[in-house]
Amino acid sequence: MILAATLAWQVGLAVCVPLLVRRFGRDAGYPLAAGYLVAAALLLTRLPVILDDREVTVAWRWLPGLAVHAALRMDALGLVFALLALGVGALIMAYCPRYLDGSEAEQERVYVTMTLFAAAMLGLVLADDLLVLFVFWELTSILSFVLIGQGGRPAATGPAVQALLVTVAGGLALLTAIVLLAVHLGTTSLDTIVAEPERLSGVPAWVVGTLIIVAAFTKSAQLPFHFWLPGAMVAITPVSAYLHAATMVKAGIYLLMRFSAVFGGSWAWNGTLIAVGLLTAILGALLALRQYDLKALLAYSTVSQLGLLVGVIGVGTPDADAAAILYTVAHALFKATLFMLVGIIDHQAGSRDVRELAGLHRVMPATVWLTALAAMSMAGLPPTIGFVGKEAIFEALGGAYGGGWLGWCAAGLGVLASVLTFAYAARLVHGMVEGPTRQRQLREPSWAFLAPAAVAAVAATVLGPTVAVLSPLVERAADDARPEGTPPYLAFWHGFTPALGLSVLTVLLGVLMFLGRVRVDRWLRSVPTIPPFAELFERARQALLHAGSFVARTAHAPGPAPYLARPLLATVALATVAAVTLTDVPAGLGDGDPARPGDWLLLGMLVTALAGLLVARSALAAIGLTGVVGLLLSAWFLTVGAPDVALTLMLVEVLTAVVVMLALRQQPPRLAPVGRRRPVVGAALLAAATGVAAAAGTAVLTGRDQVSGPGRWYLDRAEALTGGANVVNTILVDFRALDTLGEAVVLAVVALGLVRLAAGRPVEPASTGTAGDDLVLGLAYRVLAPVMLLASAVLFLRGHEETGGGFIGALLAGTAVGLGQLAHPGGAPLLSRLRSAPLVAAGLLTATVAALVPLAAGRSLLAPLALNTPDPLPSLSTSLLFDLGIYLMVLALVVAAVRRLGVPPNQPTDLPTDLPTDLPTGQPTGQPETGGAR
Amino acid sequence: MSAAFVVGVLVAAGVFLLLRPGLLRVVLGFVLLGHAVNVVLLAAGGLARRTAALEEVGPDTADPLPQAFVLTAIVISFGITIHLLGLLRRGAGGPAADPTGGDADADSEGDGGEGGHGTGRRR
Repeated sequence: MILAATLAWQVGLAVCVPLLVRRFGRDAGYPLAAGYLVAAALLLTRLPVILDDREVTVAWRWLPGLAVHAALRMDALGLVFALLALGVGALIMAYCPRYLDGSEAEQERVYVTMTLFAAAMLGLVLADDLLVLFVFWELTSILSFVLIGQGGRPAATGPAVQALLVTVAGGLALLTAIVLLAVHLGTTSLDTIVAEPERLSGVPAWVVGTLIIVAAFTKSAQLPFHFWLPGAMVAITPVSAYLHAATMVKAGIYLLMRFSAVFGGSWAWNGTLIAVGLLTAILGALLALRQYDLKALLAYSTVSQLGLLVGVIGVGTPDADAAAILYTVAHALFKATLFMLVGIIDHQAGSRDVRELAGLHRVMPATVWLTALAAMSMAGLPPTIGFVGKEAIFEALGGAYGGGWLGWCAAGLGVLASVLTFAYAARLVHGMVEGPTRQRQLREPSWAFLAPAAVAAVAATVLGPTVAVLSPLVERAADDARPEGTPPYLAFWHGFTPALGLSVLTVLLGVLMFLGRVRVDRWLRSVPTIPPFAELFERARQALLHAGSFVARTAHAPGPAPYLARPLLATVALATVAAVTLTDVPAGLGDGDPARPGDWLLLGMLVTALAGLLVARSALAAIGLTGVVGLLLSAWFLTVGAPDVALTLMLVEVLTAVVVMLALRQQPPRLAPVGRRRPVVGAALLAAATGVAAAAGTAVLTGRDQVSGPGRWYLDRAEALTGGANVVNTILVDFRALDTLGEAVVLAVVALGLVRLAAGRPVEPASTGTAGDDLVLGLAYRVLAPVMLLASAVLFLRGHEETGGGFIGALLAGTAVGLGQLAHPGGAPLLSRLRSAPLVAAGLLTATVAALVPLAAGRSLLAPLALNTPDPLPSLSTSLLFDLGIYLMVLALVVAAVRRLGVPPNQPTDLPTDLPTDLPTGQPTGQPETGGAR
Repeated sequence: MSAAFVVGVLVAAGVFLLLRPGLLRVVLGFVLLGHAVNVVLLAAGGLARRTAALEEVGPDTADPLPQAFVLTAIVISFGITIHLLGLLRRGAGGPAADPTGGDADADSEGDGGEGGHGTGRRR
């Protein structure tokens, strides 16, 4: 349970961010950091259990049909990664307040996304089911995309898309692997799969192994997918430090460690990891050496260090696993520190170019010496944790393939990568301390800015001599990764071992390389650039987009008619096929529709109205005739025993007419010319064919003899169960309330969509006088509006018993609003105060409360709950409250329609052609109008 | 049989309007098609029983289930009509500010879709 609670806590923190930002401004990072630490403490309460070689689990049924459980499980390996995510996260959160200087909305975005990311990372490393893992895996990719994209800044979009495409492609590989595992093993439980590796063999094992490797390599930026990581450096520094150095890129490492228990014995798995990992390590380090931009240097360095980790995991011994886990921790500490410090330098000096920072130690000594401390860790110098980690790595690499000559080769490559690492670390520090100070005006940052980096730098140093503290947890974690053999006890000093010799060799060669840096630099420049993967990738992407638009070209047509003709033709074709092949009419259908004389009368009027509509040339006539059609249909609905439907349709027709009139006011009253003869004939033929198909289908396939089963059930039981006599209304608000809620939400979305569509148009006309008022309509409004509102309330309240309800009541009230707008374009008295956005919010809230109250009372969601009321009052239930929510949302739609569409176009709008010349040009064009409040 | 005829003429008229130039006609055609679907829904429940399901339930009581469907369907299609009108008004903001003038609006819409492919990265 503690796992779910921690995850929920982290998500809750993200939800609280807006409040925190409102209260503390950018200092919201401090309470958030505390929150991260609380989450870490929650997990640490289970440390004794974990060290006792037990695990913490929690599971719910999620997709029982697929045997998928929403399962979380924490063992030592998961705990290490979780603590990393939360611990480094806390440091970064404490770093953000002094770093962020954007707008409040910007800060809110960063804090929310980072906190959600921490939750996703937590879920990823604690997931016990592979599908759950996949969901969190993708979440980290998406959140990383959002953070790199910086809210859509143009320069950041390209790299953000690139990073997303690469990591999501890897995510797809992971999903495919999961599906294959589920098919072959019948389970997606990570625990089960890892516990019985022998169940997976042969071709599936190869395919799954390859896919897992691809997924991990994309996430952890290994060759040839490494290019997205340097690109991702356009993100702000806290993001780079947290996601792209300390945590997200470690997800691939985590995945490889988890699956090394399954594939670890195979030479192909081991060989791939060692070869690609060490190659990436060397290449990344070479590229890092070429950089002058400190952030780019750190990015390539991250690629390189991740490569080293992948290589070590490939060795596949308990020693190697322990080394990898220890070095993961070490890397997270020193790399996050370095990023934070480079961010500080960038912030203070306005440059990250190492050539601009000469002599920085004289003006910002603390910053520079902390950088040096972290760089020592990166270079693997004692007494830092980096030294211990690198020792362990050398020892593990030497043991590859049983410690033969292949092992020595691997160790040699590891030394080479480390020598290069030493060289660029030295260069990083040297650039800041050499020569005369270039920027004398610089000042040390405030201690609050420096503190998080200082904490991490000191931790990375102190944890070297005291590495034994970590030993129990790392041992356990290595055992979790691969339960074979005993992992070594970690110690600072192992005596004079071959690994120590390699460390000394690394330092010696590194110093030599640093001394000969001029020559090394010249040589590096002369080496041809490594194939530009990023560019190839970009070209492939563009080619794909071009191919896409080429394929889509056939679907582009100059007007709506050609688009719409296709599905219509398909409908006719389908009907033809059905007419030929369908021989038996489904059972239960008979002459369920005996026509009555009144029907034919209505039909005759309908045909007349439609014929008029088709030939109408004036927009006004067309709209009027459409209204007539609607009214005739509502009459028809009344005759077939559907008074609620009839009333709703009638009101909708009136309202539609009002809204269309408002929308088209002072537009040309003529419809577009009908056009040339041939298209008309074609349209008429298609229309006739579709009409015949629809009529035939209706005649053959509808008309039940008996009331449907559910209908019968409702008729028999509705009143007894709900206390409402109007069965249709009880279906809407009691039985199928969830449907109704969904539909009302659609209306709410349309209302908000209108608000967005009309963004930039003034909500209310500039003239507040009564210039545009219509005297006759005004009088009608004054007399009718109160009556309509009263009737609306009555219809709403009696809905459960008789014809009426939320939909109908709201439509009637909306008609009053529309009448008001017609009569007083400048703002009708009273009703012009209604605003759609607050109405939507109120309606949604009311309906949700009505849905949840029964839940609190132990009933199911949306179950009607009768409230005890004193005798003279009518009985009340939560379904009335729910209906009120519907009422408010429907009213919101009408208000939005009337307000947004009803602004006369000759009032100041953003239409350039309509702008009177004497108006000031500073109209509020293009300003997003999020609420109705103005 | 009357329902089938109603559906037939509504669909035919609606389709004809959809295929004509001018966005206002498209909106009205859509309204007619919405009516047609509502009639089909109600007809599916059978039209032999025509007493409202309000007080006494008898053998002539109509099936309330299709009515509930139709009722929400009407309101939803009202919402969509409003949305279409909003788009129509929006389209009127272009150089060819005649919303019933037809093809100009559709053109700009088509270009927007294609441009979206090409400029997706730069945006």
